[in-house]
Parts: sequence; C-alpha cells; structure tokens
Amino acid sequence: MLASTLLWQYWLPVLLLPLGIGLVVAKESERRLTGKVLLILLAITIIAQPSSLDSTIEGWSLHLLISLIGPIIAMLFGIWFTLFSGPIPVAPLPRSVRPFGFALMILSAAWFAWMVFEARPAIDGVSNPWWQHFVTSFLTSLVVVAGFAAAFALIMGDSRLKEASAMALISITSFLLLIYLLAEGTNSDDPVFWRSASWGALGDLGGMLFGSGLALMIFITFVWLGEKRMGVPESVEPLSEDETTTIREIISTNTGVDE
Amino acid sequence: MNNDGDVVRDWRTLTLVVLTLTVLIFIANIHLEVRGEVADVDILSRFTHSAIISFIFVNSALFMITLALSHKHANLVEQALGTLLAAVIGALLYGLLVDSGMTVAGVATDVWSQFSIGAIRMMTADFAILLSLGASFGILLTLVTGRETPSDPLLELETTSFESEEE
Repeated sequence: MLASTLLWQYWLPVLLLPLGIGLVVAKESERRLTGKVLLILLAITIIAQPSSLDSTIEGWSLHLLISLIGPIIAMLFGIWFTLFSGPIPVAPLPRSVRPFGFALMILSAAWFAWMVFEARPAIDGVSNPWWQHFVTSFLTSLVVVAGFAAAFALIMGDSRLKEASAMALISITSFLLLIYLLAEGTNSDDPVFWRSASWGALGDLGGMLFGSGLALMIFITFVWLGEKRMGVPESVEPLSEDETTTIREIISTNTGVDE
Repeated sequence: MNNDGDVVRDWRTLTLVVLTLTVLIFIANIHLEVRGEVADVDILSRFTHSAIISFIFVNSALFMITLALSHKHANLVEQALGTLLAAVIGALLYGLLVDSGMTVAGVATDVWSQFSIGAIRMMTADFAILLSLGASFGILLTLVTGRETPSDPLLELETTSFESEEE
C-alpha cells in the first residue's frame, strides 16, 4: 500500500514538477519567481523524506540519482571547461584549462565504468535494484544517440571526419560494453540478470517512444483544433480624425519634429 | 528545390543510421537471449505498460505546462481540457489492463504497485536518455568548436589611401 509520506513527498512533487518548469519559462517575472520558489519547495520536500532510502522502491530511485552525482558533475564541468577554453569568442577561459576539461570527461567515464564493474551502488550491502535497468537503458540510448551524432557531424558538417570518428568510437565502445555485460556480467551480477534487464529496457524504451509520440500527436491535434476554432480575425477600422490627431501629437512630442 | 531534396536525403540517411543501430541492438539481445538462460521477461507487457504510462505522464506534463503558461489572451481551453481528458482516459485504460490480468512479472498485481514500479522504471529510462543526450551532444559541441580556423585574409590587408593614389 502507498504510504502517505510517499504520496506527499515523492509522487506529488513528481506530478508538480512540469508546473514548476512551465512557470520558470513563462514571460512574466512574477510567474518566473513563483516557479523558482515552487521548484525549490519541491526539492526540499523530496529531500526531507523521513524514511530511509533503502526502505522503499521510491527511495531507491533517489539513491540512484545521488549515486550518479559524481560522474555527472565531472562530465558537466569537463564539457564546460573544454568548450569555453577552445577558440571561441564568447567568455573564453585560459587555453591551459582545456586539457583539464578533457581529463574531467575521462574521469567521468572511468568513474562510471568503475561503478559498473566494481562498485554497484548499495546501502549496507543491499544493491540498488534500479542500477541494471539504468545502465542498460543508458548504454542502449548512448549507442543510438552517439551513432546519430557521428552521422550528423559527417553528413551536415564540413570536413568533420575527426569529430565523427570520435562520436562513432563512443557509440561502438558503448555497444561493446553492453554486449560484454550481457555475455559475461560483472563481479556482483550474473549475465542472466543483465540480459533480463537489457531485454526489459528495450521493451520500456520502445513503449516510451510509442506512448510519448502518441501523446504529442494528440496534443498537436488539440492545438490545431483550438487554432481552427478561433476563426479569421475581423478587419480593423481605419483611424478616426481624433485618433489620427492624437497619434500625430505623440509622434511630434517624441521626435521633436512638427509635421 | 535541389537544396530541399538534399535536406530530405540527409535526414533520410540519419533516420536509416538510427534504425540500423536499433536493429543491431535488438539482434545482439536476441542472439544472447538465445545463447544463454534468461529470467522471465515478458517484453510485450513491458512495452504496453510503458507506452500507457508514458502517455499518461506526457499528457499530464503538457496539461501542467498549459496551466503554467496560460494567460487571458490565449485560447487554451481545448489544449487544457484535451490533455487532461487524455491523461484520465490513459489512467482508466491502464486500470482496465491490469485488472484484466496483463501485469508485469515480479511486481504485486494491484494497480498501484504496477503503476508505481512502471512509472519509476520509466523515469529511470528518461534519466538515462537525458544523460546520453547531454553527454553525446556536449562532447560533440566541444569537438566541433575546438577547430582552429585561419583568420580571414581580408582582415590582414592594409587600407589603401585613395587620396595619395590620386596625388
């Protein structure tokens, strides 16, 4: 059964997250402020859960997020340092920072590989149940996305063979890593579990593509219906004498030029 | 016209690359499933559950975003009501599906347990997709912007004084 704390401190914040994001991207400053406050409150609500993370399946999902903070931050800072220390005119960092950025990216990849093979996230010896699902989903999508990026650089870019090769290398490495996990497993997990996780992840990813695509198509239909119902706007009447005079006065006041 | 044709051809090629990679991953999985033993995973149930839960989530998210962005000049009634109705229909359909016995293995068979596990599984996959997109395109961006280009030779030319030439 669903505990009330989980309802208020996990599922409700998850439900309200799009509202917060929508408010943050709104044009009016009051709404943006409301959105920021709402997002902070949602984060505090989730963090302030009284139960331990290993007591519920929802808690384990938060534990997965926390476990991955290290590699994610290393990757983000790596990309940031490398990007802004390159030959770009916008807010450049010193050129000497660039190798450090690449080193951080490599550290992030190595950290992730170490977690996969040697240090599966766990609490008091109990492994995180979402780990294999996450790893197989991540590697599967990385194969496709990096492969797409390689083809994109090659087809759309001008003499981008080096960049395309790097992305193709990432795609192939991810594919080989996935195959290795399915065939050999890791120290902590038998390949049977990896195969089951990967097979299930394929079903999930396919279903997500189909369900999300259908929802977006229906949304586009609703927007189209709304636009269609609005009809053609009525033609605007020409300005009256009084309106013309008022506008002339305003223009001459602002420009300082009499007609 | 010719340019439009090129764009269509390029995107067709890119779509083909993605499809090929997806098929390759499927073949690798099927090959290894056949080769070794595997725990019971009903991929059809996982696909169906994931599709309906994604449908509910995307419609709910769009409903929330519509509410957040609504203002007096926008005619958003169709959008708001439509997305809310679609989410409710999705939820009812999901309940019917679970009640009819089409459940995911390894989880309690009540509707909430099935939904919550499916939703967390879906959010985990969403998180994985976001990370792979961020990492791939972040790295691509750093590589693409790292290329040194020679400066424009026109900038190095000295200005000609026309007055002195005339003299």
